Amino acid sequence: MAKVSHRIAVLQFCFALAVLAVLGRAAYVQVIQRERWAREAEEQRTVRVVLPARRGALYDRNRVPLAITQEFYHVGVAPNELEDIRAGFLLLVRNLGTSAPALDREFQARKRWIYLHGPFNATQVQPLRGVRGIHLDGEFQRFYPSRDLARPIIGGIDPDRSSGAAGLELSLDSILTGRPGEAVFLKDRAGRRYESPGRMVREPVAGNDVVLTLDAELQEIAEQGLDDALVQLKAESGDVVFLDPATGELLALASRQAVEGDHPRASTFTDPFEPGSTAKLFTAAALLVHRRVDTTDAVFAENGQWEMPVNSAGRTRTIHDAHPSKGKLTLAQAIQVSSNIAMAKFASRLSPEEQFETLRDFGFGTPTAAEFPSESRGRFARPDRWQPMYTRASLAMGYEIGVTPVQLASAYAAIANDGVLMAPTLVKEVRDPAGTLLYRHRPEPVRRVISSEIATRLRGFLREAVGEGGTGGRGQLSNYALLGKTGTAKRFEGGRYVEGEYTASFAALFPADHPQLAVIVKIDNPKGSYYGGLTAAPVTRTMLQQALASRRVAIDRGRFATRDSTPEEEPKSADAPAGKPAVVVPWPARLDRPSGSPLPVPSVEGRSVREAALALHRRGFRVNLQGIGRVVRTQPEAGDSAPPGTSVFVYAE
Amino acid sequence: MRLRGRHWAVIWLVILLCVLVAITTRQTAGFRTARRVRELREERLALEARRADLERRIRVASSRQVLVPVAQRQLGLHEPSDSEFILFALPRSGSGKR
Repeated sequence: MAKVSHRIAVLQFCFALAVLAVLGRAAYVQVIQRERWAREAEEQRTVRVVLPARRGALYDRNRVPLAITQEFYHVGVAPNELEDIRAGFLLLVRNLGTSAPALDREFQARKRWIYLHGPFNATQVQPLRGVRGIHLDGEFQRFYPSRDLARPIIGGIDPDRSSGAAGLELSLDSILTGRPGEAVFLKDRAGRRYESPGRMVREPVAGNDVVLTLDAELQEIAEQGLDDALVQLKAESGDVVFLDPATGELLALASRQAVEGDHPRASTFTDPFEPGSTAKLFTAAALLVHRRVDTTDAVFAENGQWEMPVNSAGRTRTIHDAHPSKGKLTLAQAIQVSSNIAMAKFASRLSPEEQFETLRDFGFGTPTAAEFPSESRGRFARPDRWQPMYTRASLAMGYEIGVTPVQLASAYAAIANDGVLMAPTLVKEVRDPAGTLLYRHRPEPVRRVISSEIATRLRGFLREAVGEGGTGGRGQLSNYALLGKTGTAKRFEGGRYVEGEYTASFAALFPADHPQLAVIVKIDNPKGSYYGGLTAAPVTRTMLQQALASRRVAIDRGRFATRDSTPEEEPKSADAPAGKPAVVVPWPARLDRPSGSPLPVPSVEGRSVREAALALHRRGFRVNLQGIGRVVRTQPEAGDSAPPGTSVFVYAE
Repeated sequence: MRLRGRHWAVIWLVILLCVLVAITTRQTAGFRTARRVRELREERLALEARRADLERRIRVASSRQVLVPVAQRQLGLHEPSDSEFILFALPRSGSGKR
């Protein structure tokens, strides 16, 4: 039998071997397999999470939000984790607005997991935070606070990729999209995650905000006006464009298509149409640029019907005038009465190249390069594809050319802008999430299309077209004059003209002097009266009246009043209080003669000038204010009789 | 007094405990801060959502589509034509004395 000391030695040796084995294994695991086990431990204890970045917002020019990104939530409920099922149930129903019977059925079915898709906003889920058994799954979602306002232009995002899918959301995607962040969360055995401030790998950076040139108020006026017009005229579709001629800023773009169940598309950019007589002005511009007419030149209007020779073989084309004219017409008169015959005759003085170049310089046949994706370039063939006689006359009448409403507005804006074509734009500013200005739109001239003198003459033509004897009289406002041109064209669809279907349009510049707005109203296939002067023109007038009456629309009313007021022509009165600031009422832009039976001038003494002006106006008098504050007397005096329309001078202290 | 082996063991043990407590406290404070940051962020999100909702409701309530029919029905107002309003020119600077 071995001695005890030997047995102890053997035991110690075995123990030492075991310790060595453990140490050896530890060294192997910690030194040789270090990375592998470190990685495995990291995966068990931590989770790497991508932190989504908030997409930038879209605002109108007055910072009215049109598209914003908010965090929305889906809610998961684990009934067996709830401490008080009844309380949890009530909390969900009360805050999420879910149907109580439906949720009750889910609970009664003893499901282990109830999923409420929502999505619910942060306000709704706030009381649910921290409640055991209720799990919130948040995600950024796009939200359009102004509902459907300008939606065809704004477009939308692809929910799967959270990137722009259409409209400005698509074209401005790189500006609006932020940079996602990354963080490492700790997790416990149960998979619960714990945030730790020290484990943020990269902060998410929100996208930039874009301030658009659109004016939400004017947009609403345009959309409402167009909706009303389509109902009233039983029309198929329509477009409205409001553009600032001086800057090229697009202020409102409304599109409507009367197809049930279909979202309106931005046809102001995508759908070219044959403009008809609204395009006559551009052939007139070509004639003036190339000096093929002077003010006295006139052509015979053929009493409304003309067999135009098309080729040397004797082939002819019948041209009609909707408003037949007898005798000869100058270029201005041809525009005024919208004579196809006179314009076709005048156009024959131009070579195809000359006519093409001028129309192309106005921007037809090329996209305007506004920030809208999938913009149509329109249809405008090169002269080598023309049938010279035929096409020249067609173009002079606004046929054989397809323009988008934005192209047409831009071309009319060039006439308002003394002949300089400006690049239309939808983006006014870009700001980073902290509000720092990154980009501000500066008016961008494309080219000088016509001289200032020719632009002035063309505006004169437009003035006559909406004046007495013109086709656009119904577009004219009572006191603030506009310039305009009507258009009525047969609809061209599927490569042919559709019999009995027309596109009515009206192009306007407002106000007549120093225009601040270029307006295009286009109505497709109105029933009944289909002429632009009877359909699109009154719609334009109504919209402009509403825009003028609205305080929020971006019109410089000061320029109206300042320009129209002519202090040096105001009647001077020895009785006018000296040293008082004169408040001048620009009334009216067009002086009409007083008419109607005389009425007594109401007594307005002691009232404020505002009340006095309203009281006098209600009786049909025009008002001319001298001074501010309380009214001391009027001329004619209270009780005197004067026909409606007479100017009453109001003297205030 | 001369420190013996077991004294050193106790000292090292105390140091170890102190370090462990410091690490745990720091970690706990970190978690607490992170939770507080998250709560504040959630509160901010809730407030932003509330503000956006209120702005939307104000926008809808003051939109022409809602306001104009109400003004017509309840106050008897109507959309004015341009002959029914007056634009006032501001007095020129220096033209009057106060």
